[in-house]
Amino acid sequence: MSLDLNLYLPIAGNSVNCLAILGLGGVVGLLSGIFGVGGGFLMTPLLIMLGIPPTVAAASDSNQIVGASTSGTFAHFKLGNVDFKMGMLLLLGGVGGGSLGVQLIKILRQLGNADFLISITYVLMLGFVGGFMFLESLQAMRKPTATKVEEAPKQESRYARAIGALPFQMDFPRSGVQLSVLMPLLLGVLVGVLAAIMGVGGGFIMVPVMVYLLRMPMHVVVGTSLFQILFTCVNVTIMQSWQNHTVDFVLALLLLLGSSIGAQVGTKVGKKLGGEQLKICLASLVLVVMVKMLYDLLARPDVLLAYMGGH
Amino acid sequence: MKTVTFFRLAMAAFCLFVVSAVSVPAHAETDISAIKAAPESIAMGAQYDGIDLTVHGTVPEGSDVVLRFTGPPADMHLREKGKLFGLLWMNVGKVAVKNVPNVCLVDSSRPFDQLGAAVASYRLEGLRDAVEVEKTTELPKIDVAHELILLKEQDGMYHESEGGIVFGKVVDGMQSYTAKLHIPSALSPGKYLVEAAVLRDGIIIGKNTAPVEAALVGFPKWLSSMAFDNSLLYGVLATIIAIFSGLIIGMVFQSKGAH
Repeated sequence: MSLDLNLYLPIAGNSVNCLAILGLGGVVGLLSGIFGVGGGFLMTPLLIMLGIPPTVAAASDSNQIVGASTSGTFAHFKLGNVDFKMGMLLLLGGVGGGSLGVQLIKILRQLGNADFLISITYVLMLGFVGGFMFLESLQAMRKPTATKVEEAPKQESRYARAIGALPFQMDFPRSGVQLSVLMPLLLGVLVGVLAAIMGVGGGFIMVPVMVYLLRMPMHVVVGTSLFQILFTCVNVTIMQSWQNHTVDFVLALLLLLGSSIGAQVGTKVGKKLGGEQLKICLASLVLVVMVKMLYDLLARPDVLLAYMGGH
Repeated sequence: MKTVTFFRLAMAAFCLFVVSAVSVPAHAETDISAIKAAPESIAMGAQYDGIDLTVHGTVPEGSDVVLRFTGPPADMHLREKGKLFGLLWMNVGKVAVKNVPNVCLVDSSRPFDQLGAAVASYRLEGLRDAVEVEKTTELPKIDVAHELILLKEQDGMYHESEGGIVFGKVVDGMQSYTAKLHIPSALSPGKYLVEAAVLRDGIIIGKNTAPVEAALVGFPKWLSSMAFDNSLLYGVLATIIAIFSGLIIGMVFQSKGAH
């Protein structure tokens, strides 16, 4: 019986327990369904812990995210939660930013301090995004609705006036906002650069950007983020298979089976939770990951050598 | 640098000559110390999860045995970790090491401290002499060979245990032995070797080897050849199947939700 649960993966070059992979996929899928993040920042380290080489873990995870985000986008599309116009603009910027980030990393590696920059960017970004979202949501949840409504226009006006002055204004009916076309494009570039430097899909930076800088409603943010992640990961999967032979398709399918089910459940859970609750949960998750990374930086590792390829 | 290489080659040739010259009496030893590994070929199919390799052999009565399972040595590139600004642990440099076997499993018939110095080269720490640390721009600040062994032990690719070799009956002054070596599931396909050293009173009196080959079979073999020989098609197919699976699962849940 225990023999049947093990499966040998030739690309990863190791055998895995099917149940462990399915369960891992399920948990990460649940999170991605609720928050609209790809979950790559969680899945890849856990796969490495199960004995999958870092490069194969990251690439196969992208393959899995293709399926998971298809399923998630589909579910959110049915609920009317995908802003295709905004998604395409962010994607366009993201692709440009991604290429820019890859070049930037190349230059930094030549200068010699790339790893330091990557680690610090990671911790600072996670800490900043997580901390800001957490505090903001906590304040919003504590305050009575009346004071919030009173204060909101005063706070918004300065930022709203600034972005209102930008040229090429466009209406985004699905998100219920009016913005300059430049906004999603430029923010897409920014997220793309950061994602490339940190080596992740960027979902957990993109979501706060859409919520706070593009002023989109949380539920549309999740659907649109998934839609965008789908395209990013199709690109990564094909490139990784072609150039590096690091996509383990069987591993990806197993993860997908778990994560698709998780994502479906997550979408329903996310619908039941309020926007502020969603934000505070995501913020806590991001902060936990940050603390873990900070600990890794400060504690002496057991072994002072590491394989190439991982962060 | 070139003269060093030449010197090494010359040494190797000389050693080979000495071994072949001495191999006649040595052969007499190996003839009386037999060794056999089962299975001789490891089939890595969809169900492969590492196996227990059984090693059988016979040695003269009263001698001890040390077994080692290794593969061909290869070069590795690693990252060295160190402290930055006296506070943050991160990758601070690159280290190239040569002559590192991917796998190394050691077992013995008695605790190593009772076997004497002759077996030191068979132990994991014995790899220290074989492993060459490449001098890159700056010298590594850590004991690379030691850390490398630790890293491989953490992965389960290096393992050392003692007392795992069990002796059997004595027939005509020859004693049989059996040992089980656990082959990790992360073994790469390729050719491997089980080496046995026969000892008496702390001196190696005989050596013997048995070949073991590991190869992909069945579905893993097909998938692997697909991924490496038709990589672009493989990537596109992987993406398409993922999208369709996602859609199908989405629809299944959708119809369930409608009820």
